[in-house]
Amino acid sequence: MTAPSVTLGRPRARRFPSASLALVGAMTALAAVGPFLVATDPNAQDLLRVLEPASWAQPLGTDHLGRDVLARVVHGAPRSLGIALLCVLAASGVGVALGLAAAYGTRLADAVIMRLSDLMLAFPGILLALLLSGFLGGGIVPMLIGIKLTLWPQFARMARAVAIGVLQEPHVEAAELAGFSKHVILARHVLPPVLRQTMTLTTLGLGSAVMSISALGFLGLGLQPPTPEWGAMINELLPYLSEAPAQMAAPCLAIFLAVLGFTLAGQAVADETVRSESAP
Amino acid sequence: MSPIVQAVSTRALQALLTAWVLATLCFAFVHALPGDTALRIAAARVGEDRVTAETADRIRREEGLDRPIVVQYGDWIARLAVADLGRSLVSRRPVTDDLAYHGRFTLGLGAIGWLLSYAVALPIGVLAGFRPEGWVDRLSTAVSVGIASLPSFLVGIGLISLFALTLRWLPPAGFRTGAHMVLPAVTLALGLAAFSIRIIRNAVVEVRSAFYMTFARIKGLGVRQAFRSHGVRNAAIPVATFAALQFAYVVDGFVVIETLFNYPGLGELLVKALLARDVPVIMGAGLMIGLLYAAANLIADLVCLTLDPRRAAQAAA
Repeated sequence: MTAPSVTLGRPRARRFPSASLALVGAMTALAAVGPFLVATDPNAQDLLRVLEPASWAQPLGTDHLGRDVLARVVHGAPRSLGIALLCVLAASGVGVALGLAAAYGTRLADAVIMRLSDLMLAFPGILLALLLSGFLGGGIVPMLIGIKLTLWPQFARMARAVAIGVLQEPHVEAAELAGFSKHVILARHVLPPVLRQTMTLTTLGLGSAVMSISALGFLGLGLQPPTPEWGAMINELLPYLSEAPAQMAAPCLAIFLAVLGFTLAGQAVADETVRSESAP
Repeated sequence: MSPIVQAVSTRALQALLTAWVLATLCFAFVHALPGDTALRIAAARVGEDRVTAETADRIRREEGLDRPIVVQYGDWIARLAVADLGRSLVSRRPVTDDLAYHGRFTLGLGAIGWLLSYAVALPIGVLAGFRPEGWVDRLSTAVSVGIASLPSFLVGIGLISLFALTLRWLPPAGFRTGAHMVLPAVTLALGLAAFSIRIIRNAVVEVRSAFYMTFARIKGLGVRQAFRSHGVRNAAIPVATFAALQFAYVVDGFVVIETLFNYPGLGELLVKALLARDVPVIMGAGLMIGLLYAAANLIADLVCLTLDPRRAAQAAA
């Protein structure tokens, strides 16, 4: 047991870990403005200049069809990251809504929703996305559905647990006695803590969505060539690994930095949530 | 009900549900896709350009596609119940034969990768746990966060470029000799160890600061002996639980790793079948992977129950 520490003067401002912020910021910027800055067409082929090393005109060299690797990595960013964002937003939206419905609704609704999420957790992660993409042909929609289906149960479980905890607190009881409607209580007292708690899942989910999207692309079941998506690029360049290691390194590094950024940011958000919970 | 019986029955039910959902999904996909199912099967069998109306008609009669959809669905489930998975549309071999052949490779790779990961993670995790914030701890944390941020195919590509293309110590892909197994197994092991090192470290740290350890030291036991007789078993509970859970994660990871290394396991079979739209094989491989996952979860449950009698008592109450 440690004695409660006494802080004199202003508490020291807590710094959000800057490495994760810088990484996430850089990746967001790359996806948002990169394609406007790099005007080269990512799909323009030049079969006379295949697998060329880096030069002034092509800073990262060219791939097996003579396409500019830098342009492909930059134009791939909004796809890889944008789809990840869509997946996670959809999963958290559905998950939080179902979790709140389970906590707020009838017993039957609770049981049905929770058994559904158990069922989803009984599937090995990538299998559903694989099957969907395989059957429906690789595109954005099957991938979105597949990844969303595997992510939502975590959100539903956390939202339900937090909501049930909040609903038992005295300030909610007071609000009920004061005559506020269910909707107002939900919006004012239940939703904010639920969203705060699921922030960690959202950030970490972005990292795992980027991984799943690139894995599907790598297997040839995600976005289809010639779309410049990082995983699909790696799949296309794999046969030329020994001749063009630098071209291969570019999309690999992009995936690594994006996932690392979201993982570190997720941990930072988790620490922050724990700290703000324990603070008086 | 004894907790063991309960765990087994829960997981058996889970396996059945998984199988049913997969079967229904496959059935629904095959029949809900736009266009004529018979034409698509004919295309898979004889090639896109040689499909005629007669072949499609013959297949429609052969496969019973002209019957009502409910009857077809019932038939599909009934055949599944007796493990009749049909034949591959491409190779015409029975799907169960393919599964038996490829399943062996996957089990071998999974077991070796899993064992290897704990051979690496246990010593590092324990060392890090004995000196929290020491250099072993800092270094292993940094490396595991890095590896955890890499999809498994990137770890694999890194290993291929280093050990197969640059140093030329090991074959890059395929499967003929034991040496072909090294890189896929190491890829799998690194992915697993990146997570388990932290769990082992935290378990050791927790046990070291527990009251019963302080008591054992006050009683006069040395650090080593206190840890041997009081620490190991307690630290083992979360570690073994996680290790068993990771067995389930292996099921998830091998699909990508097998495809990268062209290793003839279930995952590779599934991906190839998906690319060729070979529905019976997709169905069989998907089912098999789902069942392996349920089995791995069952092992995890049983390990927890045996190691931690408190949990068993709780579950029984």
